Amino acid sequence: MATSLENPDELDERERRALETLLKRLADDEFVLAERYTEWQVRAPTLESDLALANNAQDELGHARLWYDVLGDIGFEERELVYERDPADFRHSTLVERPFEDGDWADAVLRSYLYDAAEEIRLESLVDSTHPKIADRVGKIRSEEAYHLEHAQNWLERLADGDEGHERLQDALDRLFPYAFTLFEPVDPDVEEDIVDLGLRDATLEEMGEEWLSIVVPYLESLDLELPADGRVGDGTDEFEFEVTEEMLPEERGRDGTHTDAWFDLYDEFTRTYRELGRTETTRIMDKPE
Amino acid sequence: MIWEVFRQEKTGQYHTHCGNVHAPDREMAKQFAAIQHGRRKPTNSLWVVPRDEVGEIDAEDVAFGGTTDKAYRWATTYKTTGEDAREVVESEDEQATAERQRGDD
Repeated sequence: MATSLENPDELDERERRALETLLKRLADDEFVLAERYTEWQVRAPTLESDLALANNAQDELGHARLWYDVLGDIGFEERELVYERDPADFRHSTLVERPFEDGDWADAVLRSYLYDAAEEIRLESLVDSTHPKIADRVGKIRSEEAYHLEHAQNWLERLADGDEGHERLQDALDRLFPYAFTLFEPVDPDVEEDIVDLGLRDATLEEMGEEWLSIVVPYLESLDLELPADGRVGDGTDEFEFEVTEEMLPEERGRDGTHTDAWFDLYDEFTRTYRELGRTETTRIMDKPE
Repeated sequence: MIWEVFRQEKTGQYHTHCGNVHAPDREMAKQFAAIQHGRRKPTNSLWVVPRDEVGEIDAEDVAFGGTTDKAYRWATTYKTTGEDAREVVESEDEQATAERQRGDD
């Protein structure tokens, strides 16, 4: 793939579809996760943790904006990507849309860890993207994501150290782990192949999923947490291998447009003002991101 | 546990006290400080110090500067002729400011 994918007029149908699929996943994941994080504002256990999570939410919104903006290059408008989009057209993993168990900080921390560990791998696979704007923006995003991962791990290790914290983490893991698998679930094999063949991303979902599991599984076990679903293959002496089977996956996977009811409620909530005020355009307070 | 936070804006400058954070340990204190005190102002480096580790001596404990007139210590007391080097002028200015702040004049 030698040609640049930057000029939207030069994209053929296949290239456009691959780019759109990739970007919607990136943007929607960040956007919806940020929406959920925001629920913790003024409710986190301490002022410091409140600020830290609010900071992370702001970061994620900023990243979503960077990705939605690239979608803008291929003809999408912000209002139709966010406020006027059919909720069933969002492509985020169902991990990020799940509501928090009421006041359960362990849920927020564990979710953040599962997501940020995956995000690190995903961003790494975009560093040399053939799409110049993607490659360029990944650098900025990565430096902020490093803080998120560190923040999640610091909390995890401390929560896992106490009885109640450990129990809550285990509960959260039981609930969230199946949804986390969907982060790397493919949808249309042709499009998945195109994304890699066109060099938009340099690893397949399967490779990234495998790498993610090889990192999070031993780490979670080092905290004495038990996997609700263990797909490890072999006796553990060979290279790490983990097979995610159909039974381990939840019904709603997000990437294919299937979502849990909680998502439709959240969507109603964040689009309510826009609808009530009869808006037809999004308010812009900043210039286009760079 | 409370950690006092000191911010340095640029390399080479002093770390100046800017507030504090609640955190269970040093690692978390550094992380929280980065967000709470390093996010909105130019920051090159932050120090976090356990409040208990800060030693304090205040005006009730000691008469800072002594109680008798020691004007002979101040450069501004001496008459000079000719033009002073820039460093000297700056130093005298600092001294004059300090004297005003102490209410000496």
